[in-house]
Amino acid sequence: MNIKSIKITKSMKFLVLLLLSLIVGMANAAIFYSLTVQPAVAITGAKVVFVSGNDFPTGSSLGSNSTWVSLALKAYPNVTLTYEQPVNISNTDTANHNFRLRHVTITPANGQPQVGNYTSISFVVQNTAGVAQGSFNYTTTGLNWNTASTMSYMTLPASASWIIYVETKAVAGANDVTADIQIAVDVV
Amino acid sequence: MASILLPELFAMLSSDLFLLLSLLTCLLDDKVPKALPYVFQIAALSGFGHLSISKMFLGDFDEAMRFWYNVFYLGVALATVVAVNIYLAMIRKDWTVAKLWSATVTFPTMLISLVSTYSYGYLQGATLPPLLMPILIVFSLTMLTVTMGVLLSPRIFGKSRRR
Repeated sequence: MNIKSIKITKSMKFLVLLLLSLIVGMANAAIFYSLTVQPAVAITGAKVVFVSGNDFPTGSSLGSNSTWVSLALKAYPNVTLTYEQPVNISNTDTANHNFRLRHVTITPANGQPQVGNYTSISFVVQNTAGVAQGSFNYTTTGLNWNTASTMSYMTLPASASWIIYVETKAVAGANDVTADIQIAVDVV
Repeated sequence: MASILLPELFAMLSSDLFLLLSLLTCLLDDKVPKALPYVFQIAALSGFGHLSISKMFLGDFDEAMRFWYNVFYLGVALATVVAVNIYLAMIRKDWTVAKLWSATVTFPTMLISLVSTYSYGYLQGATLPPLLMPILIVFSLTMLTVTMGVLLSPRIFGKSRRR
């Protein structure tokens, strides 16, 4: 059979072109749609925020959106210094939220002679009634830090404000040094 | 919130125009070269290439560059529509088909392209003549009246029947 003898009618040609057009058109539309899909990112205020406590240390600062706080804490040699309510964590939402404290960084780094000046730095999360819900402790062994383990999530009730209680202690005869600790508060 | 039009809209519009041209020239294959429908299919595929490149280099190309290469492609598509119209009128001397083509293909595609470009410019905050839209509306209404007059003219129907 001679292929040339097969008559390609106009309607067949049109059908083939129509199918090709549909494929190309749909491919174009799919690509265009993938270009137009845009995530919408709404900016809202944080629901769980820091609030300065009754014992907010001098030299500390609270971020403008209350989403971060920098505490200037002191430690005295051979004595435990307590900050009963340096900062609170407040849930401004009408629903409960879970949160935890997580260690990020600490300086001076392990092995530095300044580390040996510290005995412990403890952060205790207390509920509104002052009952401890969990602790987050930094201690030292020689010139090394024993950094705090990530806490389990705690449920902060709606419209409640919990306390971050802090205790610090330096070794007897400690030098005048500073430790910087960065702690993240994970909220879900 | 109104969605911002992307410049790739012009590439998609142009590609669809080429597909339309391909189908129409297939129907008019006794008046245009036989290969033309396939050439238009390839031209439509190049629109797919345009869109693919835009997607791949979305972060690298700035909006102005994307606008210009997409508008250039639209310009080519519109020029092709007009060229086919001129070919039918001047080379084939088929005035009836040329007039019908002008009213049903050339004019609507021009209008759609103008409105798309205007809308894009408006959403991007570009300064466009404030009278452009009213002029376009009046123009489209006039053309619609003329088109309906041409299409519904008994003389044209008579000619079509004779052929």
